[in-house]
Order: sequence, then C-alpha cells, then structure tokens
Amino acid sequence: MRGALTLCLLLLAATLAALMLGPVRLSPALLWQGLSSGEGPGALVLGTIRGPRVLTALGAGAVLGLSGALFQALFRNPLAAPDIMGFTAGAGLTIIAAIALGLTLPPPLLAAGGGLVAALLVVLLSQRRGHATPPLTMILVGLGIGFIASALSSFLLTLLPHPQAAEAQRWLTGSLAARDWTHVAQVWLIGAALTALALAQLRRLAALELGEDLAAGLGLRVGRARLALAGTAVLLAAAGVAVAGPVPFIALMSGPLGARLTGAQRLQGRMLSAAGTGALVLVVADLAARAALPGIQLPAGVMTGLLGAPYLLWRLSREMEKGEL
Amino acid sequence: MLRLLGLLALLALALVLALSVGARPVTPAVALEALRAYDPTNPDHVTLMAIRLPRLAAGLIAGGALGVAGTIMQVMTRNPLADPGLLGVNSGAAFALLIGATVLGAPDAASVALLTFPGAAMASALVFILGGGLRGDVGPVRLTLAGAALNALLLSLVTAIVLIRQDTLDMFRFWVAGSLTQAASRPLLEMALIAGAGGVFALAVAPQIEALSLGAALSRGLGTKPRRVQAAALVVVTLCTGAAVAVAGPIAFLGLMVPPLARLVAGHALRRELLASALLGAALLLFADTLGRVVMPPAEVRAGIMTALIGGPVFLWVARRLRPGATA
Repeated sequence: MRGALTLCLLLLAATLAALMLGPVRLSPALLWQGLSSGEGPGALVLGTIRGPRVLTALGAGAVLGLSGALFQALFRNPLAAPDIMGFTAGAGLTIIAAIALGLTLPPPLLAAGGGLVAALLVVLLSQRRGHATPPLTMILVGLGIGFIASALSSFLLTLLPHPQAAEAQRWLTGSLAARDWTHVAQVWLIGAALTALALAQLRRLAALELGEDLAAGLGLRVGRARLALAGTAVLLAAAGVAVAGPVPFIALMSGPLGARLTGAQRLQGRMLSAAGTGALVLVVADLAARAALPGIQLPAGVMTGLLGAPYLLWRLSREMEKGEL
Repeated sequence: MLRLLGLLALLALALVLALSVGARPVTPAVALEALRAYDPTNPDHVTLMAIRLPRLAAGLIAGGALGVAGTIMQVMTRNPLADPGLLGVNSGAAFALLIGATVLGAPDAASVALLTFPGAAMASALVFILGGGLRGDVGPVRLTLAGAALNALLLSLVTAIVLIRQDTLDMFRFWVAGSLTQAASRPLLEMALIAGAGGVFALAVAPQIEALSLGAALSRGLGTKPRRVQAAALVVVTLCTGAAVAVAGPIAFLGLMVPPLARLVAGHALRRELLASALLGAALLLFADTLGRVVMPPAEVRAGIMTALIGGPVFLWVARRLRPGATA
C-alpha cells in the first residue's frame, strides 16, 4: 500500500514537473489559473503545448509498461518484452511503410497490424515439430524479427524525400514532440479498453504462472489462454507505438522496476505498478530529453535508450549469476 | 583446390558486376580499356576510375575483413550468431569515428579513421566480458542481447550528438547503415594494409584459436594459454572490424552469413575457413552493393541495408536451430 502511494506521488510530481518546466517556466499558480479559468499562459501551455504531450507520454508509457509486464509473466522470463522481441519494431515498420507508400490509415490500426504479424511470425518461426519451444528460442527469433523489421524500415526510409525521411527517422527513435489531443484520446481510450481486457484475464495468467501442466490441471485451456493474453499484450504495445513511436526499453524495464518500487507481490498489483512505472519513466525521459540541452529537443527514445541499455546489461549480468542464461 | 577456384570465380563475377552495373552501365570491354588506357574525356572511363574502382576496393577490404572477423568471433564464442555488427563492435568503431570527426574536428580522413581501432577494441572487449566470455561459456542469447544493448546505447548517444550538431547529419546517415558510396574519400590503401595485417595475424594464431575452441580445459592440456589466445583474437577482430568501418561504415550481418558458408566450402580447418571467409565476404558485399544499385533506380539502397535484408532471414534460420535451454 505504501509502495502504491509512493508511485502515485512520484507520478504526480513528474507530471507537474513536466508541465511546469520548459523554455517558458510556469509556476503551479499559473498552471492552476490556466486550468480553472482557461486564460493566461497556463491555459496555452496546458491546452496546446505541454498538456497533450505529457498526457500522451503518460498513456503510452502505461500501455507499454503493462504490455511488457504481461509478456514477462507469460514467458516467466524478465527478458521477454515487446521491444526486445521485435513487436514494437514490427508496429513501427507498418507505419513507416504506410508513409512511404502513401496510404492513409489510422496509425493505431497500422501499428496493431504490424505488431500482430510480427508476433505471429515469432510464434510460427520458433516452433519446430516434435520439440517444445523454449522461451529463449522465442526471444532469439523475436530479436531476428526485430532486426528484419528495422532493416526494412531503413530500406523504406531511403525511398522518402529528405525532410520526410528526417521526420520518419525521428519518429522511429520514439518521440513525443508535437502531440495533440487526438493522440491523447487515442492512447487513453484504446489503452483503457485493452487494460480492462488484460485485467479480466489475470486469473488465467496467474494459473499459467504456476506452469503449463498445473494450469491445464486446473482446467485451463492453456494454448487458447496464452494466445489471448499474448494478443492483448501485443495490442497494448501497438497502442503505445501508434502515438509515441517504438520507444525502446520502456516495456522491458517497467515490470521489474515497478515491482521493486511498490513491492507488489500479487499479479494485479504487479501489472498496475508496471503500468504506472511505464508512465513515470516515459514522462521523466521526455522531460529529461527536453531539458538536457537548452534549445534542443531530443526525442524521448534517445533518453530511454540511454537508460534502458545499461539496465539490459545489468539484467544480463544478474541472469548470468543465477545461471539462467 | 577446385573449391578455391570456385570461390575465386565467384569473386571475379562479383568484381565484373560491381564494375559494370549501375546508373551508367559500362561493358567489361570498356572497363578493360579504361584500365589499360585511361581517357579522362570519356565519361565511361571517369565513372569507372573515379567512382566504381574505389567502391570496388572498399567492398573488397570491408567484405574480406568482416568475413574474417565474423569467423574468428564465431569460433571464439562457439556461437553461430556472433557478428561484428550484431555484437556492437561496428557501432563502437563508428562511434569513435563520429566522436573524432565532431569533437576533435576532422584534420584529415586517414587520421580520424585510426580512431575506429580503439573504438572496435573497447566494444569487442566489453561485449565479450558482458556476454560471459571470461567464464568460458558464452550463451547465444546472452551474447546477442549484450550486443543489442551496446548497439542501442551507442545509437542513442549518436542520435543525441547528431541532433546537437546538425552538420554531422551526413555522417549519421553513413553511421547508421554502412555504404560503399563514400569510398573515394576514405583512406583505402592504409586500411587495406591494416586489414591485411589482421588477416595474416589471424592465420598465424589460427591453430591456438582452434585448440581453445575445444574447450578451456582441453586447450590448456595442449599448451595454449586461454587469455593470451583471447587477446590475440581481440586484436584480429579489432584490426579487421576497424578497417572495415573506416572504409564502409558499420555493415552488419555479413560476419553472420559468411562463416557457415565458408565452413561449407572449406571444411573444419580454421586456416582454410579464414581464407574462404575473406573471399566470400568480399564477393557477398560486392553483390549486395551491386544489388542495391539496381533494385530501385534511381535511388540507391546502401550496402549495409542490403546485407541486413539478406542476413535477417539467415539470423532467423540459425536462431531456430539453436536450442539455448537444451545445449547450455
């Protein structure tokens, strides 16, 4: 309980800081004035500049974090995450492809399609007849799918004229610049629906965490339950990618980080703290990317890359000590 | 012998295609004429000597060097997914190059290019240690993920640098996926010598590396010192990868694809494998570069993207066959 409170307070503080800090610095009083009266610099910042950006970051971070935690529980492996296994790269690829081919479809739909196809490929390609599929094989195959998706994205980038290519490049890094209320509505509505869907499946996930045999013994249709959970998790990641680009490492970090932050033991608590931590990390990363160098806006993905890569290395050395890799 | 001739024929085919195919097709006869009697007023001759020939040289250097580096890495880590690009060694070298060009300013191309070597050395040592190499068992998942993390870290740093210094944007395009298009402005001769030295050194230490690949305990019994052999392999990887990045930027997946093919041709003898890797690597990179020129004209797809498109499925094929949980 105290852990959850800490996370909420941190989220509140990060959100406030992200709204206040920037080229134009605002006091809480000015923000409040803008919120209550709809006038003054506070209203402008809240309504068009930082408000949508921060809310998009919160939503995208939350869905990515939840998606990562779902995969980690499903595979019972801390390295299983949509950003490691190529699902976010697949989601990014379809959006770049639509830009390059001149298609105008809604980004969430495109991202969902790309993510699902990538996931399907990972499942199909890591199966071999007569063998059980170890999670590590799936992770490796997923890495390969991610490599191919990134290669195809860079291939498509060469087709775009220069300014468009630079913009697409920035988007592929994961960026929250110039978001508007459509993005906010998209990620929050889709995210809320998918979160509800995920929470409804938690009992099945809890059974799966006991091991497949035990879950089957409890009367669970293991294959179907896994498929539904993985599908939900892929869609959650795609909802995040559609508004923020394939931001790296949020999904990988949020689950373990959230569990440590809140000390949550039970599945529901772990999932919610992963979502909260994802939101926290993305808002802070975006703020850091904006504030790191005056006058220059780095994409948030650069910051999560700088944070996440050392985390992944540390994680690997931990796994090594436990002898699990 | 027959197989060696086959490899040489393949390389010769790659050379001819690389010289003749492109936006301005040049027939082999004209190419020969340009080499014998160069006429600076003939546009075909100028294309050949000023553009295609340096590009060809860069392809030979980078392809051969990456083939050798990939084979050494795969044998040392006993891991079929090892590759200078995937494990971040390319990124380390290219990162050092970018730092040299932006922070120190670029006095001349050759001296900045030398920075790739410390960069490659640090990255390969780091990824080897992080992947568990010092303990003797380098799990494929661990090593590949350590490489992915290193790549992501360096890419983030580079993106930040490029956004701060807009003038380095061209460097960035070169940095992200290697390409042979800037070959004429690269220190080809110096890097050819260094890559050649790396290759010769690899041949010299091949027996020790082979002994080590039997396992640390057995190799000690045979009188090799594991740490010393690891250091020697590090030198080979550094020299070869550094030279390749200096002429062509980071080209991934070549070092992944070449070693299994080389083993197919040359069998399990490391010296012959290394020779075959150099020839195959050069031929494959030239093919990839030529393909990138014709696949969607007038745009040119960089060689590094082509090798990634070809190599990605190869990675999947190898990854499927590995049973990480079962073999470790």
